[in-house]
Amino acid sequence: MNVSSPVSLYVHIPFCSRRCRYCAFASEPMDLHDPKPVIDALIQEAARYDLGSTIQTIYIGGGSPTSLPEKLLFGLIEYLAYICYDVSEFTVEANPGQVNEPILKSLYSLGVNRLSIGVQSFNWKELELLGRQHTAVDVAKSVYAARTVGFTNISLDLISAIPESGIKDFEHSLLCATDLDVEHISVYSLSYEDGTSMKEMLDSGRIQAVDEETDRAMYEMAIEVLEQAGLRQYEISNFAVPGLECAHNLTYWANRSWIGVGPSAASWYQGKRTVNVADVRDYVRRIQEGNDPTLEVQNPTLLERACETAVLNLRRRVGIDLSEFQQQTGFDALNLFAESIQNHVSNGFLEITDKSVRLTCKALPIADQILCDFSTL
Amino acid sequence: MGTEHIRNFSIVAHIDHGKSTLADRLLDLTGAVDEREKMDQLLDSMDIERERGITIKASAVTMYHEFQGIRYMLNLIDTPGHVDFHYEVSRALAACEGALLVVDASQGVEAQTVANAYLAVETHNEILPVINKVDLPAAQPDLVAEEIEHIFGISKNHCFQISAKSGLGVADLLEGIITLLPPPKDRSIEPTAALIFDSHCDEYRGVICYVRVFAGSLRTRTKIRLMGSGRTYMVTELGKFMPEMTPVAELGCGEVGYVIANIRQLADVTIGDTITEDSRPAVKALPGYQPPMQMVFSDFYPGNNTDYPKLRAAFEKLTLNDASFSFTPQSSPALGFGFRCGFLGLLHMEIIQERLERENDIDVVQTAPTVSYEVVTTDGVARRIDSPSELPDRTKIEELWEPFVRLEILTGTDTIGGIMKLAEQRRCQMIKTDYLGPTRVMFEYKAPLAEIVYDFYDQLKGISHGYATMDYEFIGFEASDLVKIDILVNKQPVDALSLIIHRSVAETRGRRVLVRLRQAIPRHQFDVPLQVAVGGKIIARETIKAYRKDVTAKLYGGDVTRKMKVLKKQKEGKKRMKSIGQVQIPQEAFMSILDSSDN
Ligand SMILES: Nc1nc2c(ncn2[C@@H]2O[C@H](COP(=O)(O)OP(=O)(O)OP(=O)(O)O)[C@@H](O)[C@H]2O)c(=O)[nH]1
Ligand code: SF4
Ligand SMILES: [Mg+2]
Repeated sequence: MNVSSPVSLYVHIPFCSRRCRYCAFASEPMDLHDPKPVIDALIQEAARYDLGSTIQTIYIGGGSPTSLPEKLLFGLIEYLAYICYDVSEFTVEANPGQVNEPILKSLYSLGVNRLSIGVQSFNWKELELLGRQHTAVDVAKSVYAARTVGFTNISLDLISAIPESGIKDFEHSLLCATDLDVEHISVYSLSYEDGTSMKEMLDSGRIQAVDEETDRAMYEMAIEVLEQAGLRQYEISNFAVPGLECAHNLTYWANRSWIGVGPSAASWYQGKRTVNVADVRDYVRRIQEGNDPTLEVQNPTLLERACETAVLNLRRRVGIDLSEFQQQTGFDALNLFAESIQNHVSNGFLEITDKSVRLTCKALPIADQILCDFSTL
Repeated sequence: MGTEHIRNFSIVAHIDHGKSTLADRLLDLTGAVDEREKMDQLLDSMDIERERGITIKASAVTMYHEFQGIRYMLNLIDTPGHVDFHYEVSRALAACEGALLVVDASQGVEAQTVANAYLAVETHNEILPVINKVDLPAAQPDLVAEEIEHIFGISKNHCFQISAKSGLGVADLLEGIITLLPPPKDRSIEPTAALIFDSHCDEYRGVICYVRVFAGSLRTRTKIRLMGSGRTYMVTELGKFMPEMTPVAELGCGEVGYVIANIRQLADVTIGDTITEDSRPAVKALPGYQPPMQMVFSDFYPGNNTDYPKLRAAFEKLTLNDASFSFTPQSSPALGFGFRCGFLGLLHMEIIQERLERENDIDVVQTAPTVSYEVVTTDGVARRIDSPSELPDRTKIEELWEPFVRLEILTGTDTIGGIMKLAEQRRCQMIKTDYLGPTRVMFEYKAPLAEIVYDFYDQLKGISHGYATMDYEFIGFEASDLVKIDILVNKQPVDALSLIIHRSVAETRGRRVLVRLRQAIPRHQFDVPLQVAVGGKIIARETIKAYRKDVTAKLYGGDVTRKMKVLKKQKEGKKRMKSIGQVQIPQEAFMSILDSSDN
């Protein structure tokens, strides 16, 4: 298989030590599986592509990559660093409490240059409710250790709108995060996914979702506090020191091609959107037998691609870059979406500059109301 | 063939009592249908009839049967049971000498059984009572026979007991049709007079008239005259439904069949008109029919204004095959250009709606159905209006008249209390009560059509655990103390949300409408105030709060397809809506104003 266009590689590690209550990712408890054949399969799947010349960013996520036995994780990274020789951003997701200085040192020396640490909250009650297995102190320790071994690009994830918590609790987490002086922070409002125990607790009335007004206030507070701390909002949920935006994720929002390997991983290249089987055993079997691990294949039409591109682009604070859009999709965005654009400009939810269309600040908390108008024609 | 060997009969009954299934068995017994072409309710050939399992349009079929060495021609007309299509039953009965009155052995006599039996008597049909579904464990044929005796005065010993499903007793019934029903009168020497009792339009052949020849005969290539319109046509084809259309050279006196004569549009033919021979016309036309009466009206607007011509074309096509549906152009200050449509009842409306959606790709917004009113203005002029929005200014109204019906309800004696209470709430005046047996009672009310045409039947079913049935018949317009409820959305009055209602309940209803609308109109990016005015005075307000947060937090590569689907659905939801100013009002909101229930 030969691909020329993909610029990013995502690797899905389908294991965690234990499942968090809100989590709907494809991930299984580590102790039920022998991870070795799975990592071998990942490597085999990656080897099917000719990745070397084009891949610029790698992101190992999951699941919890850091729940893997060290040797396996290092072996995987070593292999990827070997086959992709032009990578400028190499991210590994790390769970606080699962990493220490020696591990981080090895990662760094193998070529990993960005860490994404799953923090979620700095309040122990919230961490407990979410089913996380670390403390706020673990987070600080991980960040200091990473700094010590040389990491200069660290990202933290936070969750807002956690049930039973108020705006003050969230402010505390935001301030703790900015105190750690990291380069990048993502803030996600908690969503209740089907099949999670959080959703079950919500449906049975054991917890109550944060009201919409508070949810919005938390979001607005995040924007304010993080911008104050020098982290500029560059996407609906993402903030970074200018120049250190996550290049890997920007590939997604630019709707450029990428390849994903591992159970449940999605790919977008050669005009096809595919998704691998999520079942770990099934995935390993298919790879071992030399079969295709993909389950779903979609071939979006040119118009569908244009719609996808618009929706994804609009999530960026820079919005749709008109000339980039034209080049990429062949359509003039102002023309294609004339009615929706006109409508939302007059509502004050979109603004047009000489080279872009973007959401206004007022539109951010209700962005889906605007984006949906770009989802089809 | 002389008329003494012809029998013309229709099958009439309450909904679902088994008319079409009985027709199947008669077709079997007479060998009219090939083994390979057999299917359940064969005469229900329209797609919507098959999907819903009900008959909408009457169908005629000719069968031959030998009895005691003589070949008989049997013309059967299967009729619909639903009250909306009552007129189809009267048309069928006028073309026959006999009627099989089918009664479900487990349900007994129901409201449409009574109504249809009366129609049969009025049209001088000989009635053969048929108790069907005797195979059901809950069947009580003897009890039902007593009911029939009590209500219709037909001896219980004359009832046929059959199972249309298994065929039990159907052979005896077939014999009864021949021996007990009268043949048509022999008027073969008189000038031709054939009654048009139905018609449909074929894309290629034009109008196909269903006829019953009462006098003389019809032959191909003769010039015929429609006595009502005076127009003349050349007969190009005559035939019988066997059940497919089968050409014959002549339709003799007493026979039932079809006529094709280069008639282009359904509108050119009046059902009930008499066909005669142009060169030797009949002296007098046959008694015709009252045209069916439209009971409910509703406005249809294209979701997108540019679809207006498409919507018109779609309606035109629908009227080609259904002359009882009508549409006229209509414009509303709030909703733009659309059409006012008239229907025989709610089921009829539903069917037209379904057709429209199925056969055309147009997003349509429909207003709540309403009955028509008569308004007398201060200058003494009276006129008919089919929509609350047409009501003149309050100060110019002298009197408002609304339609009344004679309502018949059949129910068990154990639910009398609940039903009387419902009737009272709906302004029904009791005319009489009749006990049909120890456990069954029949009420007769005078009722305002507006109170019973929408959700009354559902409530009736609820109160009686599904047991009560009803039937109604228009009697006339009468003055009532009515007022108009107006709704303001985002401070703008929306005429399509107006409602005409009795003064005594106007305030409660007005408040309720507001609550319904608050639930039915989606949130916007801004607050939407709602107000309700009764007789020009604002009596209540509600606010639909703006969206405060609606954004997907996480969207990375793998979620694109799924998220696009969700967003498309979100956008789709905006489609069947009408924007009024900046506010999007969905289809459900227009309908929600009719919901008069408590919660
Ligand atoms: N058990 C039993 N079921 C029957 C019998 N006759 C009809 N049915 C069932 O009753 C239902 C209604 O039958 P139809 O023949 O469609 O009734 P209909 O009177 O033509 O109904 P409408 O035309 O809608 O008024 C169907 O499910 C039939 O299968 C019978 O003798 N025994
Ligand atoms: S660590 Fe991440 S992937 Fe694993 S269960 Fe928790 S949220 Fe899910
Ligand atoms: Mg039927």
